Amino acid sequence: MPSYILGRIVSLVLSLIAASIVIFLVLEVVPGDPAQFMLGLNATPDAVATLRQTLGLDGPLLERYFSWIFGLLQGDFGVSYTYRVPVAGMIADRIWISIPLAIYALVLSTLIAFPVGILAAVKRNSVTDTSIMGLTQIGVAVPNFWFAMLLVLLFAVTLRWFSAGGFAGWQDPLMALKSLTLPAVALALPQASILARVMRSSLLDTLGEDYIRSARAKGLSQGQTLWRHALRNALIPVLTIIGLQFSFLLAGAIIIENVFFLPGLGRMVFQGITSRDLIVVKSVVMLLVFAVIVVTFLVDVAYALVDPRLRRATR
Amino acid sequence: MALLEVKNLSLSIGGFPILGDVDLSVEAGEVLGVIGESGSGKSMTALSIMQLLPTGSVAGGSIRLEGREVLGLPDREMRAIRGQAVGMVFQEPMTALNPVKTIGDQVAETAMVHGGMGREAALKVARETLDRVELPADRFPLDRYPHELSGGQRQRVVIAMAIAMRPKLLIADEPTTALDVTTQAQILKLLQRLVDEDGMGLIFITHDLGVVAGIADKVAIMRQGEVVEAGATVALFRNLQHPYSKALFEASSHVPPRIPPTDTSGTPVLSVDAVVREYPLPRRNLFGKRPVLRAVDGVTLAIGRGENVGLVGESGCGKSTLARAIMSLEPIQGGHIAIAGEGLDPRHGASFETRRKMQVVFQDPYGSFNPRHRVDRLVSEPFHLLGAAAPQGAEREKRVTRALEEVGLTAADAHKYVHEFSGGQRQRIAIARALIIEPDLIILDEAVSALDVSVRAQVLDLLADLSDRLQISYLFISHDLAVVRSITDRVLVMKAGKIVEEGPTEEVFRAPKHPYTQELLAATPNLELALSERERTGR
Repeated sequence: MPSYILGRIVSLVLSLIAASIVIFLVLEVVPGDPAQFMLGLNATPDAVATLRQTLGLDGPLLERYFSWIFGLLQGDFGVSYTYRVPVAGMIADRIWISIPLAIYALVLSTLIAFPVGILAAVKRNSVTDTSIMGLTQIGVAVPNFWFAMLLVLLFAVTLRWFSAGGFAGWQDPLMALKSLTLPAVALALPQASILARVMRSSLLDTLGEDYIRSARAKGLSQGQTLWRHALRNALIPVLTIIGLQFSFLLAGAIIIENVFFLPGLGRMVFQGITSRDLIVVKSVVMLLVFAVIVVTFLVDVAYALVDPRLRRATR
Repeated sequence: MALLEVKNLSLSIGGFPILGDVDLSVEAGEVLGVIGESGSGKSMTALSIMQLLPTGSVAGGSIRLEGREVLGLPDREMRAIRGQAVGMVFQEPMTALNPVKTIGDQVAETAMVHGGMGREAALKVARETLDRVELPADRFPLDRYPHELSGGQRQRVVIAMAIAMRPKLLIADEPTTALDVTTQAQILKLLQRLVDEDGMGLIFITHDLGVVAGIADKVAIMRQGEVVEAGATVALFRNLQHPYSKALFEASSHVPPRIPPTDTSGTPVLSVDAVVREYPLPRRNLFGKRPVLRAVDGVTLAIGRGENVGLVGESGCGKSTLARAIMSLEPIQGGHIAIAGEGLDPRHGASFETRRKMQVVFQDPYGSFNPRHRVDRLVSEPFHLLGAAAPQGAEREKRVTRALEEVGLTAADAHKYVHEFSGGQRQRIAIARALIIEPDLIILDEAVSALDVSVRAQVLDLLADLSDRLQISYLFISHDLAVVRSITDRVLVMKAGKIVEEGPTEEVFRAPKHPYTQELLAATPNLELALSERERTGR
């Protein structure tokens, strides 16, 4: 087990280095000079050159890469070209919306998907199963922003249980959670549909295994067989999907953040791109990559916890 | 009162009749062997006793366990019987254990479900039971996982799960079929010991007549869901009545008529010289040298034209790896392979020119065809090796028809899909596919191992006939020594990547020199030997 985790950590660090190089290089070659953009169309070449120097945009490539990386390691993400404030501060404000939102949505999605998927698998080919499969099909097909608007219409406009958007801040955790609820539900339902389908098919595969028959021959009931033997074995593909979904929820909530006026990371990247605030884009993308890689690492560790066969150094 | 009395058991699944009027009985301390070919209903009989039938099953008749009718008992009451009064062991030890639970927990579970004991006490029972099945605590602590054990050891764990509560009846469904002969012999001995110690009744299901004669006190022969003949082992085999039993008996010891080649001097069809095949293993530490596994370790062999050479050994000995190396499906790390005098490039493998001289037939008649292609396309596939010389149009069809007719199929079969054929027929298609470009050498990798005895006899006849008529050489790879003895001229015995003994088949089988060959032969179930042993001891 320790050597397995060590191996995963090595792979995590290597992935991070590779990702940082790619992000850095890609943003080097995208068209649009931030200095030019900040000064506007009428700026003199001299003024642009001076600004480039102040922003540290004219040094050699390698030097700029390393100063960026060392900055990141010390928590210094640089200064936003547009707002002239430290990017770290901007991220810190927003990350406390994006990460809780992603976790909230993931918890909801898992809480819905597990029982629903298990129920469908156990009642295979029954009316229950068919209805669940039909509903999840719709869940997969409906875009989450449209679903978000329906939620707003019903719960905010008609019933007035929730506010239609905005974020109340964490001073009152209950209020904060309340303002994240509709967005989380909108994000979670399509994910839950996918997860429930994966859970069902994985569990059905597992229920057909020989060791399930062995367990029944020992005298276990169907329920005991399901809980003690089938579920854990069915978890591996489910964990993979959960890992992918968390990454998506972190980085992919841009539209939902816009629908609900949430000042999250997604909106910040979006604004950074439109105003050529490349340092913001670079930092947030790196942060998201970091989060995705860490989640992947956690999923790998979860695999090993679930399946003893993976606890060796190499796979 | 018999321990188990099955009377007029009938079963249908989804309206299809599976069993009709099955009568069986087992006394305490007695071993009942149930034999039959696939689809004869032996496993379904076992599952009926356990009441673990697939959904849509309707059973009739009577199954009495110590006089108590179990057929139709509600699941709650059946659960108290399963694992407590009746234990069951299945065929496939590799998949019969839950991979994410320790062996201790899995054996203890039986005790926890039935003994009403806590985990601590149940684990103690598990330890005792594992000791009984000869998995001692120092080498097999309770926290071992199934993947850390070999097939034979896993089967012992499965047996431990089944006997933890010392059931009165144990049902073993082909428990040794997936195991090597030496392992099989050990498991048979273990089962016999448990029967003797506990006075347990044992139903032993198998398709192997040699195995059944060794372990069973009485035998029932099943066919198409019915028991065609039953009785005490020796009396039954010495005086078979039913035509099907007789046919089965003959097929199991069938020796296909052959005319061995008289002159095999010429250029050998296959020559393998000091071949080494290594696999890299995972690194032990980050910077150390990567350890390697030598699967094939300096193997040398030659096959003359028209000669049939057997390669025997237990699973993991490297025989299939060697076959893949010969077919240049894998690179070799040392030595030299030549097909009909032409050497293979150790790294880039064989040219089409060389490849067309050899073909292969694999074990699994179900998995080795693309189910979406028709038979004509499957069979004519090797034609691509001929390049521009490949026959087209009517000539191609003619060749396909001829290949199918050679193996006893018809021209009309060319337009069917493989799922329309039985296992034996599929293996014929695989042979037709190998034959179609008239190779010099066909590698038969466990090609008849998955077939029922009567079908196997037919396929062996076909192979012998083709070899005689077309002067094709075979490299016949198998773990089944009886089959190798019946069809090969020479035999090589392989162990841990090395050839330990080789010679003319009859000589090696009659007077094996290497201790490993002796061990293999001694462990091989033999119907005749088992019967005379029973007659001698009067059991």
